[in-house]
Amino acid sequence: MSTEPQNISAPGCQKLHFPAGLLGFERIKQFTLISRQEESPFKWLKAEHDETIAFLVVSPFEVLTSYAPDISNEDAALLKLGGPGDAELYNIVTLRRNGDSSVNLKGPIVVNRHTQVAKQVVPHNASDYSVRHPLPTSD
Amino acid sequence: MLVLSRKVGESVIIDGQIIVKIVRVDGEAVRIGIEAPSEVPIHRQEIYEEIQRTNQEARTSGRMPLPRLAKPAAPSRAAPTHPNPA
Repeated sequence: MSTEPQNISAPGCQKLHFPAGLLGFERIKQFTLISRQEESPFKWLKAEHDETIAFLVVSPFEVLTSYAPDISNEDAALLKLGGPGDAELYNIVTLRRNGDSSVNLKGPIVVNRHTQVAKQVVPHNASDYSVRHPLPTSD
Repeated sequence: MLVLSRKVGESVIIDGQIIVKIVRVDGEAVRIGIEAPSEVPIHRQEIYEEIQRTNQEARTSGRMPLPRLAKPAAPSRAAPTHPNPA
């Protein structure tokens, strides 16, 4: 399947502000979340000012329906989350050519859907989850 | 590396705004309290490094062919955070 821009429909773009960046990518504060119907449920998280940095993300509930990260009060306050309905969750996928792809459930990205402010957090119950949770693929 | 001796209840202050306090010493475990501005991320180093490595491995140029996702094993529930309800 090609993901070349000329072959696909107009994507949905959502600008996200990461005040702390991603772990290991602290200097990058602005990302664009790109959704294309034909790539659903995956989305791309692309650095706004660096075309060479992109992460594939997916809703964790597509991978593990019982996923329940315990977000710290400090992170909830930083993101100004009033309740679970204010948050969108995305987890970063590591694609490997041998099909051994995985999802990082230990460091979810939490987005305040009203403010578009986001943070990669380490939940209190991070030890319950793996950085290499197998991606369930059907091909 | 700067090395200082502190007693329980004593602190160090970093850059005038981050306070690290020794709360308790119990054998080999030292319990510390940290007061910092909310925008300063604080992590246990081994967890930080594990996620950092995972992020670096996951980084792509955004032009990879995507796998087809299988339905997760457990029955689906109405998740309020689901971005694309089928």
